[in-house]
Amino acid sequence: MAEILALDDVQDATILIGKILKKKGHTVHSFTEEDDAIAHAKANKVDLAILDIKLKKMSGIEVLSLLKEVQPAMKAIMLTGYPTVETAREAISLGADEYCVKPIDRDELEEKVEKVLKSRGNKNAMSV
Amino acid sequence: MTIIREQEYLRVYQKITRMISMVLDHQQVMDTIVNSLPGLLNVDAATIRLLDAETGKFVMGAANGLSEEYLSRYSIDTEETMEMILSGYPVSKTDVKLESSPEDREIIQSEGVNSILTLPILFQDSIIGILRLLTKDKRIFTADEISFSMALAEQVGIAISNGRMFLEMENQVDFMKEVQQLSTLVNSSLDLSEVLDTIVERLPDSLGCKGCTIRLLQANSNQLELVASHGLSERYLQRGRVENEMNVAAALSGSPVAIYDVGHDDRIMYKTAMEEEGIQSVLSVPIKAGSDVIGVIRILSDVPRCFSSSEINFAVTAAEVGGGAIRNARTYQQISLLFNQIEENERFLANILDCIRPQLLVVDTKKHLVLVNKVLQGEMGCTENELLGRGYHDLFQDQECDEKDCPINKVFATGQPASFTHTNERDDGVHWCERTASPMLGTDGEIEFVIEVIRDITAKKQLEEARLEQMKLQGVVELAGTVAHEINSPLFAALGTAQLLEEDLDEEDIIADVGTIVRNLKEIGKLTGKMTQMTGYESREYVGDTTIVEIR
Repeated sequence: MAEILALDDVQDATILIGKILKKKGHTVHSFTEEDDAIAHAKANKVDLAILDIKLKKMSGIEVLSLLKEVQPAMKAIMLTGYPTVETAREAISLGADEYCVKPIDRDELEEKVEKVLKSRGNKNAMSV
Repeated sequence: MTIIREQEYLRVYQKITRMISMVLDHQQVMDTIVNSLPGLLNVDAATIRLLDAETGKFVMGAANGLSEEYLSRYSIDTEETMEMILSGYPVSKTDVKLESSPEDREIIQSEGVNSILTLPILFQDSIIGILRLLTKDKRIFTADEISFSMALAEQVGIAISNGRMFLEMENQVDFMKEVQQLSTLVNSSLDLSEVLDTIVERLPDSLGCKGCTIRLLQANSNQLELVASHGLSERYLQRGRVENEMNVAAALSGSPVAIYDVGHDDRIMYKTAMEEEGIQSVLSVPIKAGSDVIGVIRILSDVPRCFSSSEINFAVTAAEVGGGAIRNARTYQQISLLFNQIEENERFLANILDCIRPQLLVVDTKKHLVLVNKVLQGEMGCTENELLGRGYHDLFQDQECDEKDCPINKVFATGQPASFTHTNERDDGVHWCERTASPMLGTDGEIEFVIEVIRDITAKKQLEEARLEQMKLQGVVELAGTVAHEINSPLFAALGTAQLLEEDLDEEDIIADVGTIVRNLKEIGKLTGKMTQMTGYESREYVGDTTIVEIR
């Protein structure tokens, strides 16, 4: 089972992600503040980060960049309510494994998380 | 003196007087005297030399009984003898060989001359020449002979002067006619080349000379440029610059210069070139236009020529007539050049006006058209002649531009540039016109003309409208994206939570209700998805005046 970090400015969204993935046996650490999430990643092992692109102070892309500095092997799924070519291109260049558009279906979320976690050590799998 | 001798002298005197009174040409007078005197006075040869007033030297007038070689020696006699003669006294030499200069002694000996009587030829107390009587035998001229010869020389002086005067008068009349003709000819043309050619051809012909040149001063370099010539070879003409030749310099300072013998005159620089060309004498005269010397005319003779004062005056007068005509022709040439330049500029400006895309017109203070470009002519379907002079308001009365908005009226009212934009209905739709009028002020600061430029700005207007539409669409798309984004996060939370709840429920009715919520939340998700991918919209009627948009 994996250590998962979820960061979204909407608290209900982080709670939901936690509920869905805990049912799958993962440990989920939910955050609405960027600094808290970064501090957690600096102190603990994180297998997967699920990040919303629109946050309170920074963008999810910037947070991804900082998390990758402390946890280079960490996997990442980017969530957005407003998909654009620019954000998708930047997320991929910073090592994001998935780029999902909200509202994401529960089954779709579970499926993507499993897929990304399985691909640990296999870096050529990325889908939008 | 015996009576017989006196009678003999009287007879000779009468004969000479009769002979010289029968001829009027002074050259004929001189020839008659030198041919008759040896027989009458029992001498072997006689010569007459005339004084060239300009150089102060004696030049050959006529000779009889002597060789060319002897006659062409450089000096006539010793300095002492010449001084005596110039003082008005006769000089008699019995043995010339002993009394001549060493350099002339050989030629005198080979000619066989032994005795010479040299007499001044006087006219009104001035020396005009010398008469020399030469014998091969040694002869002592007696006082009676000398006195008689002096009286004869005086008669010769009178005859030569009379002949000269007659010739001068005759020449002056001829020259006046010639100047008149030349004046008529050169003033009948404004073509500079034609004027110059007329002068160089007529002048040497009138003076019986070989050729003629005209050199004009160039304003920028102040150097003389050969502009016309007649009767001279190209080689001679190309001999070199002449500004520094003394006779040319004197002519440029305004004084005419006559040179009898170019081969021995210091005022000539290119002696060899002149000799090769066969030139013996030169007359250089200034070409004057008003008080300014604008060039030099040189008249060249291929026989030794002592130019008389009337000939020099004629040349000077002819050069002045020519100078006036040259100045007129030059002025005309400059005016023609200027005129051509103005015409060229006018054509250039007209081309510019015709090539610019907007319509352009100019009106005078009465608002009548005074200039229209080709684009305007094409737009109006009229020729330039049909449009010029027409009233501005008559021309545009069918257009949607009120007189109060008319930029031309505004310019006349305020003196400031004005512009106005209006529409015109045409077959191909509505056209936008922009009229800009600007004043053209006269030297008194008042408006003389008004220029109006009419531009069809339909394309520009359409572009502006399209840009506005694009900006509006961009705003709508961004708003839709933002709204969708703001909805998607809570929607995600709501949908996911509903799905989890549906899984945990047991009662069929409640499961069905939660299923309805999940289905509708998914519908909202589809709608927000459309909003994030929106590229355009269409207005759709709703209720009453209200319209709603359909996302594309």
